[in-house]
Amino acid sequence: MAEEVVMLTGNHSVSEAVKRVKPDVIAAYPITPQTAIIEYLSKLVDSGEMDSHFIRVESEHSALAAVAGASWAGARTFTATSSQGLLYMGEWVFWTGYARLPVVMAVVNRCLAPGWSIWVDLQDSMAFRDAGWIQIYNKNNQEVFDTTIQSYKIAESKDIALPVMPCLDGFVLSHTSSKVILSDPEEVYNFVGDYSDPIIEIDTGKPFAYGSIVMPDKYNKDRKDLMEAMERAKAKIKAVNKEFSETFGRTYGNGLIEKYGDDDADLTIVGIGTMADETQQAIDMLTSEGLKVNSVRVRTFRPFPTEDIIDIAKKNHKLLVIDRSVSFGHEGHLQMEIESVLKRNSIDTPVIGKVMGLGGEDVPYTRIAKVAKENL
Amino acid sequence: MPTTLKDLMNNPKEALLKGHFACAGCGSALAFRHAIGAIADKAVVVIPACCTSVYQGFGRGVAFDVPTINVAFASSDAVAAGIKHAMEKKGKEAHVVAWAGDGGTADIGIATLIGACDRQDNILHIMYSNNVYSNTGGQRSGDTPIGARTTTTPFGNKAQRKMVPFIMMANNASYVATASVAYIPDLVDKVKKAISYDGFKFIEIDASCPVAWKSDSADSIKVARLAVETGVWPLFEWDNKSNKAVLSKRGSKFRNKENRKPIEEWLNIQGRFKGMSDEEIKNLYADVDRQWTFLEKFLE
Ligand SMILES: Cc1ncc(C[n+]2csc(CCOP(=O)(O)OP(=O)(O)O)c2C)c(N)n1
Repeated sequence: MAEEVVMLTGNHSVSEAVKRVKPDVIAAYPITPQTAIIEYLSKLVDSGEMDSHFIRVESEHSALAAVAGASWAGARTFTATSSQGLLYMGEWVFWTGYARLPVVMAVVNRCLAPGWSIWVDLQDSMAFRDAGWIQIYNKNNQEVFDTTIQSYKIAESKDIALPVMPCLDGFVLSHTSSKVILSDPEEVYNFVGDYSDPIIEIDTGKPFAYGSIVMPDKYNKDRKDLMEAMERAKAKIKAVNKEFSETFGRTYGNGLIEKYGDDDADLTIVGIGTMADETQQAIDMLTSEGLKVNSVRVRTFRPFPTEDIIDIAKKNHKLLVIDRSVSFGHEGHLQMEIESVLKRNSIDTPVIGKVMGLGGEDVPYTRIAKVAKENL
Repeated sequence: MPTTLKDLMNNPKEALLKGHFACAGCGSALAFRHAIGAIADKAVVVIPACCTSVYQGFGRGVAFDVPTINVAFASSDAVAAGIKHAMEKKGKEAHVVAWAGDGGTADIGIATLIGACDRQDNILHIMYSNNVYSNTGGQRSGDTPIGARTTTTPFGNKAQRKMVPFIMMANNASYVATASVAYIPDLVDKVKKAISYDGFKFIEIDASCPVAWKSDSADSIKVARLAVETGVWPLFEWDNKSNKAVLSKRGSKFRNKENRKPIEEWLNIQGRFKGMSDEEIKNLYADVDRQWTFLEKFLE
């Protein structure tokens, strides 16, 4: 089987990637807009096309608990969720991050209730930015496919050993078909490699205890190790992005951020997810009008691309940060991080923040262009 | 051949080593030693938040000589299921045991417990019941008997006891049993039998807690034995193939009420029942009757 070019939803782009990396154990629980990912996988497992164990758990809390268990036993694992499901998993999101299990969990971003709404914003995954997971936000379905594959290579590296959350905007990507190049299954599998030498593996012949009572010195050492692994992950994500591009010919900026437009600009629009992709159209429009604007898409929110942000801020006159999530009582999450990076490094480039697109509010490029003009 | 006390002294491998932190007279630690000891060479234990997460010890001094994974309170069966599936996929043999208290089983963990049972995940859940949340200082759980004074029912628990074994029977576990720290060889036999079944297995052990029960730590076995002899704690086995319950040899004669000691004998050696009114005692008797009436439907 060779490469295929198909029209595919974001959800099935995840499933197709997962099929190619051949996880040993999948456990999942349905929630819109994620459900199609696991429905497709359960069909592949039951029809024998995939040789994985699929555990149809009774809740998201158990979904992540089960894949964590499997990961402790040395298995390659997968799960997926959205919104309330991610919140319900909450205890295990931290547990998995702190345990540094190389679990891959696709999060299809959806806003939080009340009221009931199934549309996108990033409040769900942003609520877990402190849980010790690598978070990679995607701009289109091709990237969703590619990032899911890359996630395994990053998570399972022994020098990283962190769970990875590929995030995709609900409906905008999850339920919208677009052109996706599905790389040859064998090539994908070879790129990721097998997981026969796991990070951790339960063995009845070699008893060990995991997660027993811990004193503050050891506790602090573990958290410091996690911090350092996150720091190392930056180079790893870049390297995997590069290797991926050499193997498959597709690349996403330097892996951490993706720049668009002329380097020299009066205003840089910083964004995340599909809104950052929409921003690129706004840049085209504004540039054609003779304005000096460019954009940056933050691809990994954790680890945060601090060095790249410093670099960009130093070169530019002004930053306009567009957030699709917010910390009530403060400001947008992306803005918060960028301001802290600038402050810490004594960079006085002005930052303007704008929260848009909550609860699936449509944000067309024309609106982004308008906001940019207002702030030029 | 049923296990004898002599057999227990010749266990090839100890699951519980010296240096654990369990209180004197802890029923859970005693049960762990023998239940997990019976399958120690192939056991993997998953422990949710409970006293066992504490008394195992810490750092390099963990006193469990079997792979031990400590997990969030409401998730032991899901983690155990994940481990079992992964080990099966990798072609490895193991008896994966979710070892949880009554809180982690009957209350916060019950959805997860029944979920794993519905799927017939090939694991064994052992619920040691000290009838309270001991770890957090002895609050009422769903498995607290009527009349017990706990830190959240200072004037006596009024709610009926949640009989988890019956719930597991109704949900078609492959094997269900009750056991007691007063009858260790019987417990060991039940654990060994349980692992011979495919699918989801469940055992509840009545495990004394001198701290919460306000009993003498030297009386832990005595209290547990009285629970059986008064009919408060029926000892039985059931499997889904026969859909029949069988009373264990040690407890079978207490099916007949005439052979039972008065429940007051069990109540009186524990401080937790001090001050029970006649009304409460009457209600406790009725709750015990309710359990036997249910069980009778499955007995020959
Ligand atoms: C989600 C959550 N809620 C509450 C707690 C606090 N907690 C820890 S152990 C425990 C009680 C455990 O009771 P049980 O399962 O009966 O075991 P025992 O302590 O009696 O051994 C509680 C309430 C927790 N760890 N996690």
